[in-house]
Amino acid sequence: MAGGPNCREALELLQDYLKQELTPELEDKITKHLQKCRPCFANLQFERGFLEMLDRKAKGQCCPDRLRERILAQLRDA
Amino acid sequence: MTDLAPDRGAFEAEVLPQLDSLYRLALRLTTDPSRAEDLVQDTVLKAFRSWQRFQPGTNIRSWLFTILRNTFINDYRRRQREPIPMDLDAVEPHAIFRAAEEEDPEGAFFSQIVDERVLAAIDALPEDFREVLVLSDIENLSYAEIAEVLGVPVGTVKSRLFRARRQLQGVLYDHAVEMGYIRARDRAPVKP
Repeated sequence: MAGGPNCREALELLQDYLKQELTPELEDKITKHLQKCRPCFANLQFERGFLEMLDRKAKGQCCPDRLRERILAQLRDA
Repeated sequence: MTDLAPDRGAFEAEVLPQLDSLYRLALRLTTDPSRAEDLVQDTVLKAFRSWQRFQPGTNIRSWLFTILRNTFINDYRRRQREPIPMDLDAVEPHAIFRAAEEEDPEGAFFSQIVDERVLAAIDALPEDFREVLVLSDIENLSYAEIAEVLGVPVGTVKSRLFRARRQLQGVLYDHAVEMGYIRARDRAPVKP
């Protein structure tokens, strides 16, 4: 990737890009590609939409109060 | 409390804020609320007993997730029917995006699917995929943290995450088509 990445390279790195696991230099190169490449940007938006949905739907589940109480009681007796 | 007893106050301050995350991972691993509760309770007790081995300043979440997962593998995992994984090598990497991009390029159809259905689709993933997806996309652990919890190389984490997301997207897309949230893709051969 001497110059800018091509679409294949950008899409291969999309997962790492979304997880913010690229080096700042590589992240910058991908950002620049995504800013000028509409199909790759659309792909990014699609993946983001999927991840935001997953986060919203799964984060709704919380530790039940009765379990919290059971654990606190258990720690007091431990 | 003797000097050797764990410091319960410090333990509770670190661990209690993680109960929601522990419960979510337990739910996805056991796929059963009552077993998930028992698993979280066992995990917290084990963590308390080995609290002196926790290095302050290191990642409490990775440490707790590791204990929870080991407890699950040793004491909870039943021989359960695993869904047969798709032939993932045959899956075009961006297939679902390509199928949906004309009609719904931002993947809004995903949000129309009811929560229970999404969670059931996650639970139906093979366990190797499910745990990576939960740790990454629900609990927001980094590749390195997930690799530490699972005891596998970072490259394995990355490829499992990729496959887990594709498989889940495929299942949810098919469901969205079935429910009429999105029209079925044109299955004609892709133009050259």
